[in-house]
This record gives sequence, structure tokens and C-alpha cells, in this order.
Amino acid sequence: MKDTEKYWNPILETLPQEKLRELQLKKFQNIFKWAYERSKFHHKLYSDAGIEPGDIRTFDDMRKVPRAEKSMMRAIQGKAPYPYGDILCVPLEEVTAYHQTSGTTGQPVYQPDTWQDWEWCAETWAYILYAQGYRDYDKVFIPFGYHTAIAFWEGHYGAEKVGCEVIPGGVLNTEARILKMQELRATAMMATPTYVLGMADTARRKLGIDPARDLQIRKITVAGEPGGSIPTTRKRMEEAWGAKVYDHVGATEFGAWSYECTYQSGLHVNEALFLVEIEDVNTGELITEPGRRGKMIITAFDRLAQPCIRFDSKDIMEWSPVECECGRTFRLIKGGVVGRADDITKVKGVLLAPTSIEEVVRSIPQLGDEYEVLVTKKGDLDDITLRLELTPGQEDNVDAVKSKLVDQLRIKTGLGYNLEFHKYGTLPRYELKAKRFKDQRPKE
Amino acid sequence: MAEEYNIKEMAEKISSIKQEANELKAMSGGNQAVDRNVNRILASVKMLEINISDLVNVL
Repeated sequence: MKDTEKYWNPILETLPQEKLRELQLKKFQNIFKWAYERSKFHHKLYSDAGIEPGDIRTFDDMRKVPRAEKSMMRAIQGKAPYPYGDILCVPLEEVTAYHQTSGTTGQPVYQPDTWQDWEWCAETWAYILYAQGYRDYDKVFIPFGYHTAIAFWEGHYGAEKVGCEVIPGGVLNTEARILKMQELRATAMMATPTYVLGMADTARRKLGIDPARDLQIRKITVAGEPGGSIPTTRKRMEEAWGAKVYDHVGATEFGAWSYECTYQSGLHVNEALFLVEIEDVNTGELITEPGRRGKMIITAFDRLAQPCIRFDSKDIMEWSPVECECGRTFRLIKGGVVGRADDITKVKGVLLAPTSIEEVVRSIPQLGDEYEVLVTKKGDLDDITLRLELTPGQEDNVDAVKSKLVDQLRIKTGLGYNLEFHKYGTLPRYELKAKRFKDQRPKE
Repeated sequence: MAEEYNIKEMAEKISSIKQEANELKAMSGGNQAVDRNVNRILASVKMLEINISDLVNVL
């Protein structure tokens, strides 16, 4: 196979690591200077730290640049130039697209983009989709309610850029979306893992359609939740649809920074367009070796209206020890994002990786796809309840399932849970990001 | 693999396209049908710079 058939950009995707580092340093210098000279927010942040553009000469210098985080952006927005505040690096008239974060961790953050920024967003997705085998003969169905959340907007434009025919699922309901996929013989789809499983369930129960047999979807790109990198969840999705499922992780503020390729060895970091640093949550020490978890600090080199420089994502992850057989030199993240480095997932004093709970739940075939984790306070102690559904006809097996759950959850998360079994179909269903982790502890 | 591609020559072509587009915009007399479409061309040119031209000084 020719290199141009394997890679979106064979030059950048196979650049030796030392050349990538050189490129990253130059690009970091450029975006730092851009933001320093155009945004009062960045200028003050860096001036207060005593750093100006000429000071960035090495990778170590980059590490001295103060981090930005979501709370800073929330504090700025709502002020002039309205509504973005003085983080904006271009005249307001040059902004052509508005989106916002999903609000999972609080007040949504506004995201302005110029047309060039939006072209860049599509470019980042073109890398993703081409690596996952999307080509100009694909018909890509996007079952997403196009609105202020960025979600699969970028995927839509990225797929167009690759040359695919894109079918916007928009305001159709789940049944109508499935029927439209069938009618148009869609070959690929993008959705959250929760919705991929939910659609399959609806197809079988309400329409008598078996997606693996009756539809032609053979590639699914998932995002928005960690399920695509959880083996047991991926297996459920692939079996339900008879398709390969590929993960991608990105975020509204910094873009689509990672992707799985067809080898499914982990998430490639797009190191030509982003700088990803993983650092120790407690000490801030840079982690470069595989097998040690830390939080991601990320820089997007070429998004200009609202630059993202050393942004503290609080996402927990680790470098992979393996090199991908695809030939890309971009390093791999093992197992996707496993949790967050803030109080949201600290339970009984330990960092709980919700992905571990999902891995256990989805490994037990008698359990349905839906579950919820409820954290409350009993006196001074945290209390965790796991709500589950048994699949129809499995009610007699509840004790065996319970026993397996207790053992596996203890091994994987080190915690004990109250287990609640609910009637199949009664837990909430979601079309975008599922809200499975419900923290009802009083705020301190 | 980078050596298989004539990056420098491609970067020169990209630079020429950028220059031509900017010249077109400069002579439009403010015609929005020209200016806005040139902006879109320039956004695509920027993607070419990211994919090709930015590498010239690295390789």
C-alpha cells in the first residue's frame, strides 16, 4: 500500500520523534508570541510570571510557562469583547463560529473560532478519520442534534474534507435515524459509546432490526466518553453493530488531539498539531515513561482566536509502552482518559477511575448497557451506590451477578459498593454524553 | 519518509498561492464576494502551511 493511502499526511505522521520535538518547539514559540502580543489575558498571565516570547528557547523553557485552566476562562467570559472577554486574540468581527463546552464540570466555556480556526478543526478530524479508514466512498451518518455543543460538528466537516458523503442525523429521533441509515446504506457513524449501544438496543427492541445483520455500518468513531478505550465496552459495540469501533479524545477548548488508527493499539497523540505533556498530579514532574499515570497539560499550536497554551485538562492518562505497527511516529496513550484529577472522582479519599467501573459492568453479559454511580455522604464517610439493569430474562441470576460484581469491583477499584438492580429500560438513556457519575455529597 | 517529498518546492508553491490570493483581495475594491472567498482560500492555504511549509526549517 502506498504511504498516501495509509496516512492523511505521510510526512508529518512519520516524522522522527526528534524532528517532531524541533517542530513543536518552533510552533510553541509562535503561538506563545501570538497570544502574548494580542490578548490582555495572556499578556498579564505571562508578564506576572516574568516570561516573554524571547525567553522560550528550549523544552525546559516551555515548562516554565504558566498553565491556563477552565476556571480562568469562566472568570473572563461575559466581559468585553462580549462574550469572550480579553482572551480573544482577533477582532470580534473575525469570529465566525460559536460553540461551548458541555458543562459536565460546571458553567460551560465559550469557544470562538475564526473561519481559519474552523478549517483547522476540520483538519484535525481529517487526520482522525483517514487513520480510521474513512475514504471518499464512505457514507457517514451523524446521529447528533447539531447545537451549541461542538461534539460531532468537527467530525462532520472533517468527513467532508476527507471526501465522504455526510448525512446529518440532526433532529431525527433514534428510530428515524436507524431507518435513514438503512435506507441510504450508510457505511460509517460517529456517536458517543452510550448512544452507539442505545441505538442498537432501540433497533432490536423497537424496529426488529439487527444492526450487525441489517445495516451496513462497518466503521464507528466514538468520542465524548471513555467507552471506546474500554475493551469490554468496545466489544459490546463491535458485536452489536458488526463494525470496527475506533476511539478519539478531544475537547472543545483544545480540539481533537488524539485518535486510534485501524490497528487499535491505543490513542495516537497528533504531535504535529498539539503538544501533550503528562505530569505527576501531586508534584508536577514531567512523566515521559510508560505505565505511570498523570494529568495532561495540552497546547494547540494553530488555533488562533482563543489560544489554548499549556491548558490543564485535568484528564488522567499514561503513555503506552508499545509502538504502533501502523508506522506513525506519534506516541500512544494507553487506555484513553481514565479519570479526572479533581474532586469529581475522589471517593473515600482515593481517585476513582469511572472507566474501571464501566469495564467491570460491561464484562458481565447478564447486565444491560446502562448503569449509574451515585456518591453520597453518610456521616463523615463517602457512600457509593451502583445502579444496574439485568437484561430481560436474567432476573434469576441476580445473586451470581452480584457476587461477580463485588469481587471484580473490589479488584479493579479497591472500593465496596451498594448494588441496586433496576428493571430493564428504567435507568436514563442518553443521546450524547451520559451522566453516570452523580456526586451528591454536600459541597465543602 | 519526508525526503521522498519535495517539501521546499511545495512550500514555494504554497507561498505563491498565498501571495496571489492577497493580491486579488487587495484589488477587489472591497467587493465582499471576492474578499470573503479569498479569506476561505487563505484559511485553506494556512492548512497547507501547517501540513507542509512549517517543516521547511525543521528538515
